[in-house]
Amino acid sequence: MSQESATFTISGLAGNDLTVRYRQKQTPVIAGQTVAIPEGKITVFIGPNGSGKSTLLKTLAWQLRPEMGTVILDGRNIAEFSPKELACRLGILFQENSAPNDLTVEELAYHGRYPHRRLFESLTPEDSEAVERALQLSGSDRLRHHLISQLSSGQKQLAWIAMLLSQSPKYLFLDEPTTFLDMAHQFEIMDLVRRLNRELGNTVLLSVHDLNLAARYADHIIALRDGRVVAEGSSEEVLTVEILREVFQVETRIVRDLAGDSFYCVPLGKTCEQVSVKGCR
Amino acid sequence: MPENEKLPRGGKAMALLVTLSSFAVLLAAFVQVGAGSYEMTWRQAWHALTGAEVWGQPELLLRLLLGENVARNLGFGDPDAIATTTLIVWTVRLPRVLVGIMVGINLAFSGSIFQAITRNEMASPYLLGVSSGAGLTIMLVLVLFPALGAHLPLIAMAGGMGAFLLVYAIAWNHGTSPVRLVLAGVIIGAIAGSIQTGLFFFARDLTVVQNALAWTTGSLTGVGWEQVRMIAPWTLVCVILGFSGTRYLDILLLGDPTAKSLGMPVERTRFLLAAAAILSAASAVSVAGLIGFVGLIVPHIVRSLVGSPHRRLLAGCLFAGPALLTCADATSRLALSPVQIPVGIVTGVLGGGFFLYLMRRKQEFGRL
Ligand SMILES: Nc1ncnc2c1ncn2[C@@H]1O[C@H](COP(=O)(O)OP(=O)(O)OP(=O)(O)O)[C@@H](O)[C@H]1O
Ligand SMILES: [Mg+2]
Repeated sequence: MSQESATFTISGLAGNDLTVRYRQKQTPVIAGQTVAIPEGKITVFIGPNGSGKSTLLKTLAWQLRPEMGTVILDGRNIAEFSPKELACRLGILFQENSAPNDLTVEELAYHGRYPHRRLFESLTPEDSEAVERALQLSGSDRLRHHLISQLSSGQKQLAWIAMLLSQSPKYLFLDEPTTFLDMAHQFEIMDLVRRLNRELGNTVLLSVHDLNLAARYADHIIALRDGRVVAEGSSEEVLTVEILREVFQVETRIVRDLAGDSFYCVPLGKTCEQVSVKGCR
Repeated sequence: MPENEKLPRGGKAMALLVTLSSFAVLLAAFVQVGAGSYEMTWRQAWHALTGAEVWGQPELLLRLLLGENVARNLGFGDPDAIATTTLIVWTVRLPRVLVGIMVGINLAFSGSIFQAITRNEMASPYLLGVSSGAGLTIMLVLVLFPALGAHLPLIAMAGGMGAFLLVYAIAWNHGTSPVRLVLAGVIIGAIAGSIQTGLFFFARDLTVVQNALAWTTGSLTGVGWEQVRMIAPWTLVCVILGFSGTRYLDILLLGDPTAKSLGMPVERTRFLLAAAAILSAASAVSVAGLIGFVGLIVPHIVRSLVGSPHRRLLAGCLFAGPALLTCADATSRLALSPVQIPVGIVTGVLGGGFFLYLMRRKQEFGRL
């Protein structure tokens, strides 16, 4: 499974030869990259700031139009999906979100039903069920009547995840869902992601900065640097001293725990060779 | 609706708002009908309003509602002579109240929609060029082309719509954004405003200037059934469009990326909603001129009471808009009697006071 090359597959998601540019004449942020997101797995993007994680994620979710290349979703060119059809199948949580000051968690969750409703259709029992399920799953049901503007960052994140879940998509994309959260909340979100994947069969794609979270939860890791895929594969294959040096320019030590079934990346410091940064020895 | 059962937030505030607003409209209407430079007792006014003289003659009623020409074409005979009090109540005072109600609805709806699509609580119906376009065309007609005076309402409406399209064209660059729209509105406003002021120097006499001032500050003086007929269909259309757009307005408030990821065609939706709001504002302008602040304050007040979900916000505006406008109009007509000042002056003073209060009380405001 790990070394699957990005060919056309009937189900699953693949980006072929993607080139993305924010402004004309600038160098592309992503240049001719091909990636496959294995179906039914948790895939994690890692890479330094500005390496193009968000850009690639948005492009694969068809929220950014690539200058070149195609995205294939379940065997169909993603451009052929109508916006609502796509939103029923693929949901994305952005790195930054803002909600109106006086919106409650429950109201936000109901907005996730938008792609399932037609023009003048009012809410169906199915909608309410989906929202209830989303509130329960995300653990934000006890916050349902709270105003989002008055929640902590972690609770806000849960509220947005509730919206994403009430959209009930098969593919879930989350851009840095754990940033700014304390350890307990990071685990809460990652455990939720694992549950969505293992119990409900969702395909999840997310980006994180914490390599140990990636090591622990990812089935498949894609490492990015300067808009290029530097390495991909299982966590053992990608989280190696050599690859991490290439991707982050950081020296690490990989430590296995006694039971031998999980391992940790211990950062040691910046790699010094080419750049002469002061204080780096 | 399950939405309402599920979300009872603001239910009590809504009931209060509807009750108080309805009461205010009725009170203002009664004062407007009974008081004025033609003296009549309250009892006389009540009789004129509810008596058999009009209600007993369906033909007379239809003649008022549909207009002289239509009535003649439908083959109605000439009505019996009617009493002066009845005539004044029915042809002067009552239509003014009705126009006030509808102008209030239109301005409040339009303001709510603009605040949502620009994601800014400080947006008014006039933000995207309506006032500049309408104001400029009004001045052009009054000063340079007085022969077109009879068509002023339609020309003002067309001017407002034209300026809106221009604003949109300027803001467009691979799509729009709230900020670009607001900036483009400011650009057009600055240019049109200067030309408009410049045109005052070409006015031939004081009447033209006063007339122009009445239009550009907004006034309901002299409106009648013709204006009722002019604005009523637009009001109906705008209310229907507004309520069918509530879900889209709510989702626009989540920001363009999220709206898009939920499968909403953001640009098309924003343009259509803006067009509906412009229609709303322009129809109000065509009968009453540029009445300021109503479209800004009413959504503000209603939002602070019932929250920002648009189904409730617009429902609240449907009552609060007319309440503010009819009360302001009663004040402008009667407070300095026999001089009638444009209602826009009253709403301007109210608006300033309201924002002073907001500034003192709220820590942070502006962004929705
Ligand atoms: N809206 C934008 N306009 C122009 N350039 C952008 C835009 N968004 C990102 N970029 C550029 O694209 C590159 C990749 O950015 P991207 O946000 O994809 O990185 P990232 O890996 O998600 O970083 P981070 O870890 O900080 O979130 C960066 O060099 C950034 O400057
Ligand atoms: Mg990012």
